Amino acid sequence: MIGKVLIANRGEIAVRIIRACREMGIETVAVYSEADREALHTQLADEAVCIGPAPSSESYLNMQNIISATLISGADAIHPGFGFLSENSKFAELCEQCNITFIGPNSEVIRRLGNKAEARNTMAAAGVPVIPGSHEPVYDAETGAKVAAEIGYPVIVKAALGGGGKGMRVAGTPEEFENSFKTAQKETQMAFGDNTMYIEHFVQHPRHIEFQILADEHGNVIHLGERDCSIQRNHQKMIEESPSMALTPELRQKMGEAAVKAAKAAEYTNAGTIEFLLEKSGNFYFMEMNTRIQVEHPVTEWVTGIDLIKEQIRIADGRPLSYKQEDVHITGHAIECRINAENPEKNFRPSPGTITDMYLPGGKGVRIDSAIYSGYTVPPYYDSMLAKLIVHAKNRSEAIRKMRSALGEVIIEGIDTNVDYQYEILNHPDFIKGNIDIEFIEKM
Amino acid sequence: MKLQNMFKKTSSRQHYIALKNARPEVPQGLMRKCNKCGAAIIAEDVKKGYYICPKCKGYFRIHAYRRVEMIADEGSFEEWDKEMPFVNPLDFKGYEEKVAGLKERTHLNEAVVTGKASINGSPVVLGICDGRFMMASMGHIVGEKIARAVERATEEKLPVIIFACSGGARMQEGIVSLMQMAKTSAALKRHSDAGLLYISVLTDPTTGGVTASFAMLGDIILAEPKALIGFAGPRVIEQTIGQKLPKGFQRSEFLVEHGFVDRIVEREEMKDVLGQILKMHAEKGFKDTDVKAARNMTGGFAKIGKSLSAWERVQLSRKKNRPVGTDYIEALFDDFMEFHGDRYFKDDHAVVGGIAHFHGMPVTVIAQAKGKTTKENLDRNFSMPSPDGYRKALRLMKQAEKFGRPVICFVDTPGAFCGLEAEERGQGEAIARNLYELSGLNVPVLSVVIGEGGSGGALAMAVADEVWMLENAIYSVLSPEGFASILWKDSKRAAEAAEVMKLTADDLKKLGIVEQVIAEPDEFTTETMESVTMELEVQIMDFLEKYTIMNPEELTDRRYRRFRNI
Repeated sequence: MIGKVLIANRGEIAVRIIRACREMGIETVAVYSEADREALHTQLADEAVCIGPAPSSESYLNMQNIISATLISGADAIHPGFGFLSENSKFAELCEQCNITFIGPNSEVIRRLGNKAEARNTMAAAGVPVIPGSHEPVYDAETGAKVAAEIGYPVIVKAALGGGGKGMRVAGTPEEFENSFKTAQKETQMAFGDNTMYIEHFVQHPRHIEFQILADEHGNVIHLGERDCSIQRNHQKMIEESPSMALTPELRQKMGEAAVKAAKAAEYTNAGTIEFLLEKSGNFYFMEMNTRIQVEHPVTEWVTGIDLIKEQIRIADGRPLSYKQEDVHITGHAIECRINAENPEKNFRPSPGTITDMYLPGGKGVRIDSAIYSGYTVPPYYDSMLAKLIVHAKNRSEAIRKMRSALGEVIIEGIDTNVDYQYEILNHPDFIKGNIDIEFIEKM
Repeated sequence: MKLQNMFKKTSSRQHYIALKNARPEVPQGLMRKCNKCGAAIIAEDVKKGYYICPKCKGYFRIHAYRRVEMIADEGSFEEWDKEMPFVNPLDFKGYEEKVAGLKERTHLNEAVVTGKASINGSPVVLGICDGRFMMASMGHIVGEKIARAVERATEEKLPVIIFACSGGARMQEGIVSLMQMAKTSAALKRHSDAGLLYISVLTDPTTGGVTASFAMLGDIILAEPKALIGFAGPRVIEQTIGQKLPKGFQRSEFLVEHGFVDRIVEREEMKDVLGQILKMHAEKGFKDTDVKAARNMTGGFAKIGKSLSAWERVQLSRKKNRPVGTDYIEALFDDFMEFHGDRYFKDDHAVVGGIAHFHGMPVTVIAQAKGKTTKENLDRNFSMPSPDGYRKALRLMKQAEKFGRPVICFVDTPGAFCGLEAEERGQGEAIARNLYELSGLNVPVLSVVIGEGGSGGALAMAVADEVWMLENAIYSVLSPEGFASILWKDSKRAAEAAEVMKLTADDLKKLGIVEQVIAEPDEFTTETMESVTMELEVQIMDFLEKYTIMNPEELTDRRYRRFRNI
């Protein structure tokens, strides 16, 4: 039974989970590393257990210690948050073996979806679009050209042993193919001493569109619309919003149905996210499924009015979903900016240290999820995210104005942050027009 | 201000009524406590991770059949002497019951499992001790099973690998147990005399009569990290001498340092290391494809003919950034596997030796090794070998002789180490022994003087079929400084001495002391050494082609005459 939840995480997500539990009348146990004695989650929870030294490998990733803390504190469930052990099938399995409710999908589902090839095959078999590609290795340009024609141009030729962009070439037309293939193969031979190639459809200037889904143990699956997370730097999301400017109601329905199909195919339970790449043409392709709560979940919460953490706990406790698909309505527009302790002028170098002074904005339609307070020292050991600033307004342009206003009020002294950088993005004409794709930051 | 004391906690009244009702608990056997570091560890992790604690990396003792699974090719193990009748030579009371109980509990017939298997495709006879059975103490059956396995290996011309682990002799069998030491050793002697390979692998703990017999008789002795290995147990020693023993005493690392173990091998790499050694002892000759490629190498060699004074060459031979012995090993050979220790007292780091492939041909390589930094030089004693270094070299040469491998030596020493300990352990005897034994070694021997050829310290590794020198290497009876101070009572006249000593490669070739001079590039460093190693590669190939076809008498006779005529 869920009467006491141990939160196997730190930072703002731990605080977020403690708050949801508190509202539900569920007691909370925080776990903390020696570097996190003063952390907000440690102080906010009903109880706190130290699980090891500062390095994550010895504390927040230390399965045995977390299981021991659960048993000692008398908690009966673990919420893993995101990162750390949240997508570790072995940890989920350990919880199952110890009769601890793991708030998330079961270990087998995590394992299957964590294996990229297996997940892709499951999705393709269920009729969810995946990036078309050769299933067999290709060794010569002639065979390659046939495969490319089947897949559809543009295509990308990739080294089977590839990495770091080596042995990769894009061919936009059949005329270009032979040359691209041969160059890529030669490069592959030079770099890896192997000439095994794969061919895939080349997705041009895609957006990162992800669908939030909820699935219970009774076979009900719903989706809560999309999030557009195209504003990324080095695959790290910076700004997320919902709904996406790129989706028509028809496309939303089509992609939502695909997401539900994907979750059903994976026999998924609890909250999860299906990530797609969306081309300008409206073609979309399954990338992967995240088997946990996401950083950017508040934007979905705001446009749907559904508390995702509470739903996660209820699902883990075996309850049916509180909502049906027809109850889900997208209202207004929400944007989230991640506020990180980093210096954009020094190549986003992390900036740990003590926050000497701070002021965070508030008001109608402004939400802050954070774990910082005045006098708090940001430790150097973990992720640099300090806070999430989320705004909600009746449409996108009003939301952008609200975000600018709120960002303008954020004062964090003593350490460097990316607030000014975020402010710049919010003022960028292409961002304002909604003219974005995953290369936005690179091109900015 | 502590926020903790100011926040309100969750109200105690339960709003939320849970549906599921189960209490968490850890099921039996899911987690274990490491008996070394005390950490809670997941049993499954240990099983999948070679029975090594994921936290402290400590090794757990493992059952014989698990060991077989870890090192033998799947399905290749065929057990021998699985059933052996119980014996109780002293009619020791309670012994039979004890053994019967253990048989039932361990599903073993005795404390050792023997049989035949293959490791990465190479056939081998295995003997594996299992500590669960009376601490794998050696009684009649253990001795008998090992002796039989070794005898059968001798008959079938197979190598033997024994994983030792034992408390020593089996007390319940008294003097009969003691005799097993002689029996197993004798069987191994016959196996060795037949020219066959025996690898001993020492695991925790290997003590007493087993250490003093089959465990220490390997041609190659490997050990697992941190295993206790010794004759008398540490507790017994402490009680006898009334002193506390130092940390690390009698552990594998201590034995390597003291010259009794060739190398420490981690469990993860044990199978591959064993497979590699077996393979290297089964092959002979060049690999054709390799040789063809090397033969196609043309040009690119440096040219001889720089005119330098002898003293300038002395200084070049000692130059700090000149390539050292280990650079040549790396550049010229593949799969080098270093073996340590002289089996008497120490592993001398001034000498580096082991087995390697030269174009597919297994060879023994031994180098006097200078360091590249001060720290390395301190560790390698500036390439001044101690008696232990010469004894290690000799041990590896005799090993090469047994297995028919050519020996290639790289000479680079200011001289044999001059010090108290060196004299105590017989520096003179060690050098003399090498000259004596090398003259009759049954396999081709090549020595290349790559830097300083300092007197007897160099000669101890240069009684060879051919001796080559690098263009700016030197080879002399004494350092020019020593020469000047003995003859002229003035070590400052070293430059003058160098000129009259005839110690350059060119001089020595004229004197017939060396056969070949290998040209050096103008600026000779590890970056520019390729021209030298390329030439060496071709020359060594010619050398091996010429000498490996000679029969032992021809070879040793030629070598005898080479020195006899000087």
